Amino acid sequence: MKFYTKALLAAGMITAAGWGSGTAHAVDLTMYYPVAVGGPLTNVVDDMVQRFQKENPDIKVQAVYAGNYTDTMTKAMTAMKGGQPPQLSVLFSTDLFTLMDENAIVPIDDLVGADGKGWLDSFYPAFMENGRIGEKTWSIPFQRSTIVLYYNKDAFKEAGLDPEKPPATWAEMAEMSKKLVKKDASGNVTRWGVEIPSTGYGYWMLQALAIENDQRLMNETGNKVSFNEKKTVEALQYWVDLSRKDQVMPTGAIEWGTLRTDFLEGKTAMMWHTTGNLTAVKDAAKFNFGVAMLPAKERRGSPTGGGNFYVFKSATPEQQKAAVTFIRWMTSPERAAEWSIKSGYVAVTPKAYETEAMKTYVQGFPQAVVARDQLQYAVPELSVHENGRIYKIVNDAVQAAVTGAQTPQDALESAQKQSERVLNRYR
Amino acid sequence: MVAAAMISARPKTAKRLRWAANANAWLLLLPALVLLATFTHYPILATLYHSFFSLGRSGPATFVGIENYQAMLEDDVFWQVLRNNLVFALATVPASIALALLMAVWVDRKITGRSFLRLAFFTPTVLPMIAVANIWLFFYTPDYGLLDQILRFFGFSGHNWLGDPGTVMTCLIVMVVWKEAGFFMIFYLAALQTIPPELKEAASVEGAGRWYFFRRVTLPLLMPTTLFISINALINSFKLVDQLVIMTKGGPNNASSLLLYYIYEVAFNFWDTTYAATLTVTLIAILAVIAITKFVYLDRRIHYQ
Amino acid sequence: MSEIVVDAVSKTWGGVGGVDRIGFKADAGQLLVLLGPSGCGKSTTLRLIAGLEEVDAGTIMIGGRDVTALSPAERRISMVFQSYALFPHLNVAENIIFGLRVRGVGRGERDAKLRKVADLVGLSHLLDRKPSQLSGGQRQRVALGRAIIAEAPVCLMDEPLSNLDAKLRHEMRTEIRGLQQRLGMTMVYVTHDQTEAMTMADRVILMRDGHIEQNGAPHELYNEPASDFTARFIGTPPMNIIPWKDQLLGVRPEHVVLMERDGLPAQVRAVEYLGADSIVLCDLEGETMAVRQAGYCSLQPGTKVGLGWDNRHIHLFEKDGGKRRHDGARPH
Repeated sequence: MKFYTKALLAAGMITAAGWGSGTAHAVDLTMYYPVAVGGPLTNVVDDMVQRFQKENPDIKVQAVYAGNYTDTMTKAMTAMKGGQPPQLSVLFSTDLFTLMDENAIVPIDDLVGADGKGWLDSFYPAFMENGRIGEKTWSIPFQRSTIVLYYNKDAFKEAGLDPEKPPATWAEMAEMSKKLVKKDASGNVTRWGVEIPSTGYGYWMLQALAIENDQRLMNETGNKVSFNEKKTVEALQYWVDLSRKDQVMPTGAIEWGTLRTDFLEGKTAMMWHTTGNLTAVKDAAKFNFGVAMLPAKERRGSPTGGGNFYVFKSATPEQQKAAVTFIRWMTSPERAAEWSIKSGYVAVTPKAYETEAMKTYVQGFPQAVVARDQLQYAVPELSVHENGRIYKIVNDAVQAAVTGAQTPQDALESAQKQSERVLNRYR
Repeated sequence: MVAAAMISARPKTAKRLRWAANANAWLLLLPALVLLATFTHYPILATLYHSFFSLGRSGPATFVGIENYQAMLEDDVFWQVLRNNLVFALATVPASIALALLMAVWVDRKITGRSFLRLAFFTPTVLPMIAVANIWLFFYTPDYGLLDQILRFFGFSGHNWLGDPGTVMTCLIVMVVWKEAGFFMIFYLAALQTIPPELKEAASVEGAGRWYFFRRVTLPLLMPTTLFISINALINSFKLVDQLVIMTKGGPNNASSLLLYYIYEVAFNFWDTTYAATLTVTLIAILAVIAITKFVYLDRRIHYQ
Repeated sequence: MSEIVVDAVSKTWGGVGGVDRIGFKADAGQLLVLLGPSGCGKSTTLRLIAGLEEVDAGTIMIGGRDVTALSPAERRISMVFQSYALFPHLNVAENIIFGLRVRGVGRGERDAKLRKVADLVGLSHLLDRKPSQLSGGQRQRVALGRAIIAEAPVCLMDEPLSNLDAKLRHEMRTEIRGLQQRLGMTMVYVTHDQTEAMTMADRVILMRDGHIEQNGAPHELYNEPASDFTARFIGTPPMNIIPWKDQLLGVRPEHVVLMERDGLPAQVRAVEYLGADSIVLCDLEGETMAVRQAGYCSLQPGTKVGLGWDNRHIHLFEKDGGKRRHDGARPH
């Protein structure tokens, strides 16, 4: 009898202890995140989360890899509609309007403490643009990128070009590409001059070309687009001409996903791709390669890209605070530098480039700062209401043009018309 | 008097008995009925209901009548995916059936390596569509894909198979036929084995050649199987879109998109759930028409033993 | 004219059911029955004649033509299968004229023949039915109709009646025999039922383990069985066979009599009453003896009786191999 009471008592105490620590000390967070580039980045994220938890034993973060950006967005949105949203997520910086329209997220400003203002101002302004609407900051940059030009230095040498002088203008890129094209005895191309991917993120590439032609694609309030402007059409025309007129790029749609392999296999001498792929290319390239800013027409330029942290509205105030603590830890200079080195993404704060680790890295691998340097010319990525639908419309137009189904003019006119119909109700 | 009372009582008892028997049957059907109602009938009705409302983003959803359907009729992409789906169905269904029949007849004969052949033909069916799509993605990859490597070996130039709107549909059709035919072959094989060998002998005594027998006996006897398979294939051609996710995302420029994939895009990329509901109702209507055609019309016309 | 000659034909599969150098002749217009237990090779023989199997050795002649290497169709035969082998998707008329269609016979001729045959087999009112809508006997008639419409001089039948009930079987037996005689066909008929063989055949070939045990007219097989196997196979109940000295002694049940005095002492074990007669099963020194008695027999099991028979009715067989002896020592 005595023993019995004792055992019961002990059990009760254990339960109480477990209960206590659960509510009073640990905050549970679930985070969805995407991986859109090569390399074992899930391991990197898991490792960073582990270290964060060691340093912050009162916060538990469950990081869930949810596929590419679209998949992650889908997962987060369905989870939300199903009543169990994550507390924070890494999503496209451009999903902002959609998330606001769905009433899903909260501004970060209200959650940060007294020193919050200084922290928010520590990021590169170009990266903050996508996350700020009016007076509010809705998201924090994390895995951010710009588009850069990867080029095969060995191929340059072989073609009699200076491997240290990548093309700086559209005309130069077309000319150099012609020299870089290689054909076999029967006249089939074995190496293309340049490839710009047209699946998945075709709108992004079009935006880069448009920026270089000094044309913005959207307004700040995200309810107007300018796809059928003369300069946008010129940009798409240049792209199409690379394959149809100059014949330095394969015809048809070029796969975003396999383009890196094309480049690594030497099937193309140059490619336009996200800087997020830098480390994966570096690790796998069997030849010398260079990284350059995108060439200019009227000006240099690239849209920013990549993902930001968002904090969800349905989280408890406690969870929201904890989420911000996690985000601040992840974007601190040391972590930003580490993430940049391991992925190739641009580190999101200038301070990250002043860390020892980054300095050492850049010394041995100067390619790593090209994307950062390009930031001064960067423009926020296309971001409007109903982003998913607008991206699809632009992607379809790009694909219609590169496959020759429509002229750039017709394709973009149609895209503009469809977009107007969608965006009308947000004016 | 007594007799009259008995007569009037009898139908009552019969009625009660019938009711009891009915209740019993309904009870037995209940579990299935509950599951069906919860997971099939209710969602269909809910979808139908939602398709008559506005999206209600930042505001309550309002009844809009057939506005969503009107928008659908004006949606070029809808018409394109519907057209694509028809092409896809008209190409995959007869081709996979013909191929399945051919393979079944072939491996039904007593040839060496028969079990190996059967296995080989059936393998594509066992593989998940996602795996198949990945395998074929490698076949179709420009330049270093298998197809282009073979072409190059014979001196032809490569082709961007999935990136060209003119070829992408054919590529997917070929793949799906390859994937489906093995599955249908199993049905044909089973059906062929139910045809008694004496029929063939009787026909050969009567002087019927192999082709005559196939045309006049085997084929008619396989008709119920063919019907079953073609309905399945037809429904599958509206249901199977996994390959699009892996291979083309419906591109380039919707050239390979199918109705169900478009529904997925509208629902989960555009978050336009009411329009997705509208499209879903359309898809369900198409499938229902197919099913009704089968049950009401075709089953009566085709001989069943 | 269309006699069938099977000469030294062999076929083996390395298992049961093969045949080993068999030879026989079916005269034109005769009904020849291949009889035997299952696995004896009778169906194989029929299928070899039909050309559904290829011979390993030997020749087959039909109507003076060597058909050994010909296909079934070229042999100008018709055949009825045990399962009838009707085409389930075709109606009765189409089943019957299947062969005519194959050979491209004109519509007019086809219809005329169909009418005649349908009449002959009694199916005129069922021509539009599918096989699944017919009874077993009706299906049998369709198969029969299909076999005779071609007017092939030779008709092969593989246990055609084994799926029918006893009454129908009896009826069809007479009918088939009648048709065969009326149409003058040479018929080879396979069965394991000795009653069918005895009642229908002009000639019976009894087979056993791939060879011919005896070839003769029904009464020859009955009255002069060439071996104890034949003796035991033919007749219901079969011949009583008991060891006697260094040989086997056989006597048919109808030739055994119950004797009031003398006789071999035996004991009644059971009585089977068949109506016209009764079979009394007796125990004779451990052997069973069947005795046919006219009418009803009231003997109780256990009754002691004496058995006797007339010596002219006994058959003698060798103890080894069971061959008939014509010279054996006879009891007195």
